[in-house]
Amino acid sequence: MEFSLTHKEHKPLQVNPIKHSQPMGATLAFLGVKDCMPLMHGAQGCASYTKVFFTRHFNEPIAVRNTSVSDITAVLDGGDYSILMAIENIQSKEKNIKPSMIGLHTTGLTETKGDDVRGVGMHIEIPYVFVNTPDYEGGMESGWALTVTAMIEQLTFSATEVKPNKLVLLPHLSMQPIEVEKIKALCEDFGFETYALPDLSTSLDGYWEEAQGKLSNGGITVEEIRSLATCATVISIGQSMKKSALALQKKNPSIEHLHFDHLMGLDSNDNFVDQLMKIRHTQPKPLIKRWRARLQDAMLDSHFLIGSSHFVITGEPDMLVGMCALIRSVGGTIEAAVSTTFSDVLHTIEAENVFVGDLEDAQRFFDKADMVISNFHAERILHSYHDTALVIRGFPNYEELGNQLKNDQLYEGSTYFLFEIANHLRKVKHEH
Amino acid sequence: MVSRAKIKELMNESACSHSKDKKPGEGCDKPKPGLAAGGCAFDGAQISLFPYADAVHLVHGPQTCLGASWETRETKTSYTGRDHTQMGFTTGITTNDVIFGGDKRLASSIDYVMENYKPEAIFVYSTCVTALVGDDMDMTCKLGSEKYGVPIVPVHAAGFIGSKNLGSRLAGEAVLEHLIGTKEPEFTTPYDINLIGDYNVTGDMWQYLPLFEKIGIRVLSSMSGDGRVGDIRTAHRAKLNVIVCAKSLITLTRKMQEQYAIPWISVSFYGKRDTSFAIREIVTALGCPELTARAEAVIAEAEAELETALIPYRQMFAGKKAVLNTGGNKAWSIASGLQDLGIEVVATSVAKSTQDDIDKAREYLGENGVLMTKPASEQGKIIDSTGAHILLAGGRSLYTAIKKKISFIDVNQEKKTSYGGYGGLLNLAEDLKYAFKNPVFANVGKPAPWEV
Repeated sequence: MEFSLTHKEHKPLQVNPIKHSQPMGATLAFLGVKDCMPLMHGAQGCASYTKVFFTRHFNEPIAVRNTSVSDITAVLDGGDYSILMAIENIQSKEKNIKPSMIGLHTTGLTETKGDDVRGVGMHIEIPYVFVNTPDYEGGMESGWALTVTAMIEQLTFSATEVKPNKLVLLPHLSMQPIEVEKIKALCEDFGFETYALPDLSTSLDGYWEEAQGKLSNGGITVEEIRSLATCATVISIGQSMKKSALALQKKNPSIEHLHFDHLMGLDSNDNFVDQLMKIRHTQPKPLIKRWRARLQDAMLDSHFLIGSSHFVITGEPDMLVGMCALIRSVGGTIEAAVSTTFSDVLHTIEAENVFVGDLEDAQRFFDKADMVISNFHAERILHSYHDTALVIRGFPNYEELGNQLKNDQLYEGSTYFLFEIANHLRKVKHEH
Repeated sequence: MVSRAKIKELMNESACSHSKDKKPGEGCDKPKPGLAAGGCAFDGAQISLFPYADAVHLVHGPQTCLGASWETRETKTSYTGRDHTQMGFTTGITTNDVIFGGDKRLASSIDYVMENYKPEAIFVYSTCVTALVGDDMDMTCKLGSEKYGVPIVPVHAAGFIGSKNLGSRLAGEAVLEHLIGTKEPEFTTPYDINLIGDYNVTGDMWQYLPLFEKIGIRVLSSMSGDGRVGDIRTAHRAKLNVIVCAKSLITLTRKMQEQYAIPWISVSFYGKRDTSFAIREIVTALGCPELTARAEAVIAEAEAELETALIPYRQMFAGKKAVLNTGGNKAWSIASGLQDLGIEVVATSVAKSTQDDIDKAREYLGENGVLMTKPASEQGKIIDSTGAHILLAGGRSLYTAIKKKISFIDVNQEKKTSYGGYGGLLNLAEDLKYAFKNPVFANVGKPAPWEV
């Protein structure tokens, strides 16, 4: 079978899929807003699967409700009934629950029947954000991005003035909580007052506290989202987030937009730091310089192992692009980069094969691979490939612990990532 | 297609013990918007059928249905061919299919599966979107079946029809309609049974199947733990249906009784008492004195062996008290296991239990046991008043254990080992041993330097 990068599907089905759905990305994005109640509009299973999926990935309770559309309401209801009943039922059963916002996201079912989820908002007193996320379109990454755009469009107030040191980060779906925190911290080191939308770094970062809320635990507040348009700079990371940045710029044309496809490896981070230096007219903190030197050292230390190795990498487009760039920068050969969905940014990947597919497709290249980087679903398949190592990245990772604290971004995360893959390669390449 | 009449029938199952308490036509509870937790009908159908490792399970729907559900259950199989239970197949329909219908895509997907994987059968699951746009799955499956000469079974349990439980019932309907009675077994014995509703999660079935073999009970087919499609097709020749902890499949066994005159019993294999009781129930139902005698001998031997193995644990657990906060049949089945290990269960939760489960919990805990209806607020007080040493509950209750500085086991965590049968009790004992020994619950809750 020939694989090429196109919108067209090369087979009628998916076998061992890596793709996940838009509503799941929407749920996760809403979980990065403090005290938000993500409400999935569909049959109860979609939300139940989503809850289990993220609970097992993050090892944290996941607050998501659903409107449990039935076969009857699927036909008779235009959306008002199930959505309003859901909100009423939750509030009458749990009187002390005070959501800051309701994050309504649709599913394939409610999109097929064509509910008017915008109109329902007029009957709801709590701040309400809706987003159309059918699961027969796009993927988890686009669902997350659409949700961020919806929050900006529906919540953020227009502004004309900017606060010169205020910065908004728009991280893509695949960034784990610690990665958002590290990028925020770097920006703050440059003197920026930094906000991330969504902000998983304070909600799903795996901290322990007494009360386990029935709403999203931490994250950016609704008030902070409302006033985002007073920022001077918006930074989108990952091509999926570009549109969200443009939506924010529409609220205030004076905002400067910086875009980075990813923040992995020396080049992209040099570019990132360079841009921040130009805005703030300042040098980076000594520790940032130190981490750059460590990354240089890690590149040299690992180049021999990685440079003689072949990789198969699967994942969401924005994650894939960063990983491929970092591995290419130290000479690794990428046999196949398999993406969940199509994105223009995939054209920038340097690999023998770049295409949209599933693990059945990816598996055709496993024989040539010293290492597979994929979600946990590759693990069982790799049991029959004894000379191929595995590093688990992307959603979901049901088996490993501490996923929320895996950092692959910036000089620091890139350094650790190179060492991690080199050490795994050593086991399959030299221990025979 | 699935009809309203069929759903109504399944929701008013006459063989369910709680049906008698309901008004005529009231049936099972329907999901309430906002409050419905747990899986949908599709989820239930998939859980009930997925363990057939020799069949491919093809989900005809958009991305969430399979994308988020495959490879999530530890349903073990001894099948030596390609294990399809840990693989995912979905048509992953797109906008085009929603507009123009997904029949063509489904037909090509069936072709692809047959050409590349050659399974013994394909289960095709409808989902909300493909049910709503009205794909003619029955016809596509029928044509595929004729083309390839293997059963291609449509499973009509779209998520919006109802809860997980209803989906299991619909899976039972699909099996009854398309598979059972379509093949004759190579041979039969007077001791052939069908196991219904054990999915062999973490190998639960393998804890008790060796005992069956010793006694001479033959499992003709299973729905569906470690099952084969070829075997379930012969299920109509069994002498007895044995339901294992699964009320949802009562409809299937009732109908099999009506159509094939196969009686059924419902048992559980949690803990020593339940396991012995279950074996006795089965041999009694099969009605052969020789078999009963063999069963008694096997039970006696297994219990004696277990007793010896449990001695060190009993010493370790002497005087220990436990509070149990979990739902459904776990409320009494884990209690039973704990009691078998010599632990006193001072309270269990019945917040989400059926009347049957509540009665059973009362029976196991005795008069002084507390049946908690609001466990979240009650469990802390009960730990204080009884001096309980361990809390077995879901992750949300962890804080209670830490505050009270007692041990904790997350009973809802994905298990890797089985607690079933006699042997499973030893696994539970091991887990308890480590939980009692672990200082983490006392260590982790210490105040921070800035809080002192």
